[in-house]
Amino acid sequence: MSRAEYYRQMRLLAGQVREQYGLQTPRVLKSDLRRIYKDNDIQIDLWPYKLKKLRGAYFYDEDGASVMLAKGLPDDPMVFTMGHELKHHLVDRDSIVSLCDPSNQSTEIEIGAEVFAAELIFPEQMFRDHLVARGVTQGSCTAQHLVQLKRETQTTLSYAGLAKRAEFLGLAPEKSLAKVAWKKLEESIYGVPFYKRRLIARKEW
Amino acid sequence: MSNVGVRAYVGTRIKEFRTTYGEEGISQEALANAMGVATNTISRWETGTYEPTLNDLERLARFFGKSIVQFFPRVEAHDVKSEKVDALLRAAESLQQDDLDELRRYAEFRRARGLQKGSKQRKILN
Repeated sequence: MSRAEYYRQMRLLAGQVREQYGLQTPRVLKSDLRRIYKDNDIQIDLWPYKLKKLRGAYFYDEDGASVMLAKGLPDDPMVFTMGHELKHHLVDRDSIVSLCDPSNQSTEIEIGAEVFAAELIFPEQMFRDHLVARGVTQGSCTAQHLVQLKRETQTTLSYAGLAKRAEFLGLAPEKSLAKVAWKKLEESIYGVPFYKRRLIARKEW
Repeated sequence: MSNVGVRAYVGTRIKEFRTTYGEEGISQEALANAMGVATNTISRWETGTYEPTLNDLERLARFFGKSIVQFFPRVEAHDVKSEKVDALLRAAESLQQDDLDELRRYAEFRRARGLQKGSKQRKILN
């Protein structure tokens, strides 16, 4: 199976999971993933100890399936990580010892998990349709478009994920969204959020 | 071993690690302070009156510089699991050492859960 075909299969699988669990919007929450995990008998362990780069890990053996998640991850990365690890459970559990192996196959496994997680949260077609409805054509997508998209859809896919996909689909020129300060841009469009204003006011006081 | 048997075993291991900690051991009170629990909780863990949670055991293990599985009786099947985990961790070359250490600790945490669960299931079957 070619890589392109493998990734297409992962997107299809994500679509099936969305359908099975009634996920209809691009706002997939931790509670949605918890429900899916429970249904698949996957134990969630929030790991309270310091991790440097690791966000999550999937284990499967005769004691069952469990996922370690870095406690304290913000909601969006947490949802994405849970989606990523769900793919390992659904697809890779028999060959999980090769996880993180720097060989090509393992890279494919890891990229496949990223593709699956992104599709689970915000399906590619839905993403394209939303942007096209905003008048975006090939190569014309800007950072502002993505900030508006995230605000209006309340998607839990991160800005990094949205940007990567816009570039991958050719909606935005390659590397045009690589160094965007997303939160600053969001605040310049929609204003500083109330909670942050209160924090700033408290500090000044 | 029954659940009560495992609990008592865990209790004796806690006591053993506490009394041999450092050169002179550490008092129940000092350990309780370090763990943020009441002194009599330590006492009840050691006597098997209370069963420490896995999270408690993980914190104790870190305090004593031990692995969480060292609180439990040895089971041969562990070695097979250890080999699998070792293979996984050897393969994870891209991870930093600190993260690898945490992964190993998590793998041991899972094994401890399996041991705890196993003893409870055996009790139900008995």
